[in-house]
Amino acid sequence: MSKSKIGTVEAIMLFLTIIVVHTILSLPKNILTSMKSASLLNLIYVSIIAIIIAYIIFRLFKKFPGLDIIDISEILGGKIFKNIVGIIFITYFLLTSSLLLRNFSESIKIVYYPMTNIIFILAFFVIAVCMANRLDFSATLKSNLIIVPIVLVSIVFLFFANAKQFTPERMFPILGEGVFNTFVIGLSNIASFAGIAFLYFLPPLLKEPEKLKKITLISVGITALYLILSVSTLLFMFSFFITTNEISPLYNAARYIEFGTFFQRLESVFLLIWMLAFACYLSIVSKFSMNIFKKLTNLETNTPLIDIFGLLIIGLSLFPKDYAVSQTFETKIYPSLVIGIVFIFGIGILILANLRKRKELKHE
Amino acid sequence: MNKFIRNSFIFILIIIFIIAFSSSYSSLSLDNLAYVLAIGIDSADNNALEVSFQFSTPISPESGASEKPTPIINTVTASSLSTAINLVNSYLGKQINMSHCKIIIFSEELAEQGISDQIYTLINDTQVRPSANIVVSKCDAKYYLEQTKPELENLISKYYETFTNSSRYTGYIPDATIGKFFNSLICTTCEPCAILGGMNETSSNNTEQVDSQKDYTITANNSPIRGENGAENIGIAVFKGDKIVGELNALETISFLNIKNDLDRFLISIPNPESTNNYLDIYLTPAHTTDVKVDTSNQTPYVKVKCEFVGRIYSMSKDSKYLSPEVLDSISNSCNSYLESVFSDYLYKTSKEFNSDINNIGKHVLKNFFTTKQYEDYDWSENYKNAFFDVEVNTSIKSGMLLTET
Repeated sequence: MSKSKIGTVEAIMLFLTIIVVHTILSLPKNILTSMKSASLLNLIYVSIIAIIIAYIIFRLFKKFPGLDIIDISEILGGKIFKNIVGIIFITYFLLTSSLLLRNFSESIKIVYYPMTNIIFILAFFVIAVCMANRLDFSATLKSNLIIVPIVLVSIVFLFFANAKQFTPERMFPILGEGVFNTFVIGLSNIASFAGIAFLYFLPPLLKEPEKLKKITLISVGITALYLILSVSTLLFMFSFFITTNEISPLYNAARYIEFGTFFQRLESVFLLIWMLAFACYLSIVSKFSMNIFKKLTNLETNTPLIDIFGLLIIGLSLFPKDYAVSQTFETKIYPSLVIGIVFIFGIGILILANLRKRKELKHE
Repeated sequence: MNKFIRNSFIFILIIIFIIAFSSSYSSLSLDNLAYVLAIGIDSADNNALEVSFQFSTPISPESGASEKPTPIINTVTASSLSTAINLVNSYLGKQINMSHCKIIIFSEELAEQGISDQIYTLINDTQVRPSANIVVSKCDAKYYLEQTKPELENLISKYYETFTNSSRYTGYIPDATIGKFFNSLICTTCEPCAILGGMNETSSNNTEQVDSQKDYTITANNSPIRGENGAENIGIAVFKGDKIVGELNALETISFLNIKNDLDRFLISIPNPESTNNYLDIYLTPAHTTDVKVDTSNQTPYVKVKCEFVGRIYSMSKDSKYLSPEVLDSISNSCNSYLESVFSDYLYKTSKEFNSDINNIGKHVLKNFFTTKQYEDYDWSENYKNAFFDVEVNTSIKSGMLLTET
């Protein structure tokens, strides 16, 4: 992985991968359920905060050029702290990707493979990821560079193709459940910007590290627009996502697309695109996890880890007894994990490292 | 050796995946499926359901292209829709697939008891398309299916897919699909509605009552239409929650579609200002989207509806003078006052008689409140019956069509 450097556009797409897969699942519905008609206002508010946080992260990295959060934690707390940080991030990446994979596979099973055991659907993704990870990281990045824009375009298409059925008045009452719910409790929707986690590991991998600021701001900006578009589609189309739980809400929206009697049932195309996006996401997340592990253990190559991490993903994704458990993880635990690890823990390390650096500079 | 082990591993993996996914493939194979075109649901004794499934018959190559395949209808009485499906699966020896089901018919009797369980079950099914039409039949749903014999289509599935198209230019039936019905069922600003279906045989002796105005007050089961196709669809079945509370005739359906901005053009008979007791047929096209404003400053909502139309005179007789601006203005005024009265009567009917906001006027109320709590306290769904309506129609009659003066 370290051999192949990441270009600016590739880095932006990498950032967007997380939001893409999470939006396919229940992220827009979760926002709608908690924020109701104030979802769009809340998203605009949360997006502004996410842009500010991303900029703060960029500023905090400025004093550590070419280093990622693992290197910085070593500077801050030595090898033990570095190992703790590394293990926390590996656990976070593997746990979240596994359980998101489980949820996605459950949706596919319900729609297309009712008689197939879930383990084969999970294995289908994991084997593809293991094969992709045997290739150079640039192969995954380039695939991602093709797939993510297609997904983004598909969401724009989904929005405009369903526009005839929209009821834009559903964005009112503008404050939804009230000011406190929208602006204080709604702050937890910052978890939608989980892609910021990649920023912690990007600096040493970038071809042009000086463009980190540009990458950060553009990525967060596109994520915000993408999220607003997805949530708008559901908010304007359906009244039931606020009270009723459905598997993959965007898939449901895709079922409504019809152009006369000829172009119908386009949801299959959407699902195919989303499957590819999911495989890219898994590949990227496992690559990052392996890279952290390699850093912690001073391994020379990732290759021996590929199958082990693949099996770990399958094992973790089989951990929930049923869909209800994995859904609870996605709706209740995942946002807390993102806020705790990505926003509080990650930024905390960077702030402390910056303070230490300033202290050292003062002493010198 | 390494290469051999790797290739063997890949080969075994492929075999495993083929076996694993083949069960899903077989279950969805054409040979194992029976495609349902329509479902009719009637109520039976002891809270049971009588569910009729209509299947298409495969056309044999020997029968020729002109021969119409006779649809097969299987009926089963069961405690629930899912049990009925299971019983028919067992009877047919094939699995019912509803991905091509174009129409779901509920009998009026069942709709009076409430159909939310059936709607939730159907929406929960991955095969049922949200675009499947919902019809409430004045007669038994099974009888409706049996009497549906399209005259101009060889394939009944084609008829089910296109029969609602005429509503864009007649305005006699709404575009009521199961997706929209479910959405309205849960919605706090509106109520669901369905297409009103029935038989055209019961009105065979009604011809003496027909006049220009009565043409527009027809409903399904009560129309002067004769033909081979026994089933007809005219009007709207109005629901409050999941229970039917009334029906709307053709003219009221035109009003519904106009206020909903769901109509391209429509023909209407208005009183002729030039000749008392005579009517003029006008083709009207909405000039703008209907503007609806709701004042909720009082507990009694005040709804202002403004519509604009452009029209051309369709009916022509000897000595018609449609080039004079005065005559056209007078026809426009007559059209305005007539439509204002029709739309107003329709709105008051949905409000006072049905207390059912099928037009989703409630969506215009939302922006009057800052929080959901304020909106819920206003209780639009129950308050709709207290609403006052002020309808303003502006029509601009341009001329006749090919003839302007005779």
